[in-house]
Amino acid sequence: MATISFDLVSPENLVFNDEVGTIIVPGKDGDLGILPGHSKVMSSLRPGRVMVYSEDKNLIKSFFVSGGFAEINPEKCIVLAESVVEVNSLEKTSIEKEIQELENKEGKESEEQLSVAKAKLEAINVNYYDKI
Amino acid sequence: MPSLKDIKTQINSVGSTKKITSAMKMVAASKLRRSQEKAEAARPYSSRLEEMLSSLASSAASGEGIIKLLTGTGNDQNYVVVPVSADRGLCGGFNSSINRETFKLVKSLEGNGKKVQLMPVGKKSRDFFNRVMKDQIIESFVDLNVSNTGYESALNISNKLQELYFDGKFDKCILVFNKFKSAISQEVTQQQLIPLDVSNSEKEEEKENSSNAIYDYEPDEETILKDLLPKNVSIQIFKVLLESDAGEQGARMAAMDNATRNAGEMIDSLTLKYNRTRQAFITKELIEIISGAESI
Repeated sequence: MATISFDLVSPENLVFNDEVGTIIVPGKDGDLGILPGHSKVMSSLRPGRVMVYSEDKNLIKSFFVSGGFAEINPEKCIVLAESVVEVNSLEKTSIEKEIQELENKEGKESEEQLSVAKAKLEAINVNYYDKI
Repeated sequence: MPSLKDIKTQINSVGSTKKITSAMKMVAASKLRRSQEKAEAARPYSSRLEEMLSSLASSAASGEGIIKLLTGTGNDQNYVVVPVSADRGLCGGFNSSINRETFKLVKSLEGNGKKVQLMPVGKKSRDFFNRVMKDQIIESFVDLNVSNTGYESALNISNKLQELYFDGKFDKCILVFNKFKSAISQEVTQQQLIPLDVSNSEKEEEKENSSNAIYDYEPDEETILKDLLPKNVSIQIFKVLLESDAGEQGARMAAMDNATRNAGEMIDSLTLKYNRTRQAFITKELIEIISGAESI
């Protein structure tokens, strides 16, 4: 089976760069599963999980991104994300605390942060896509 | 004639200055390496973003829902100039060249009848413009700590700029910063941040046009562009902050290298003077003894 080259880039560094089998990215209108030979798409992303799989469909890594863009063509997939963390390194308790704090605040900015934090919590709790 | 003791003290004090400057040089050198790595690491993101933007810019320019960050307000009366300097001194002409260039730019814009406001980044330019054009400063950003929290600071600056822009407070924003050319040379550069200057990216786009033309956009071009443009502003600022940080370290390294060398030369010449003076004293004493002995 063929592979597709995948770059995950944050403003601070290049987080991930390798040949992989499948990638699932959280597109704004719904999740996108990307296999080698995918048609050309440019999509903006919502906060959520970016999942990376090997050729034989084993999960290699899952990242949480707070939003960004994906550029996809048949040979390459590039995700530009503003903040990237590995889902494994997220801590449930600290996020729950953050959510509580943000819920008491008002304003557009904290609302945005709140939705990101909620997405983070969801990313930890859910386990669909772990096996594909 | 200075006494031997005076010269000795002077040699010692120059010696300790030399120690300090050479330590500062080494610190700057290691910081430079780190800032350079940072700047390098940020490059893939910004270049990718630019590519995306350039392929989108053309499609949006032909569509109707064009947004102002790209096209401008249609006016060019009100300017915001953002000089990016360092927070600390002792780095040669790094800060003063920024201040001088900004000052010149502001004066020439005002000469053309434009209204100019300032938004200095970094203590050195804030202090300078606080002295010379205090009432034109709308906001200043200091203590950025670029090497640790650079992107957050860039976000702050870009949020503030966009807030003002969409309130109609200004029409054009120009950044003045030191572009990092090499470890020993920086170039003062002006970059128009808002509205976005696509002239140079358009060339790239023509080159890649054949491959870019057939993208599917999700949700649609306009929405992506609306997300992309504000991000681009922050990324551009981030890039500038990193460049300026690397430039600062480079400038400091060069300045401190010079200072160390000067101190070395000064010590040499002072030591020579010290030895001569000592010799002169000995000779004088000898003459006194001999003439004393002769007179007996």
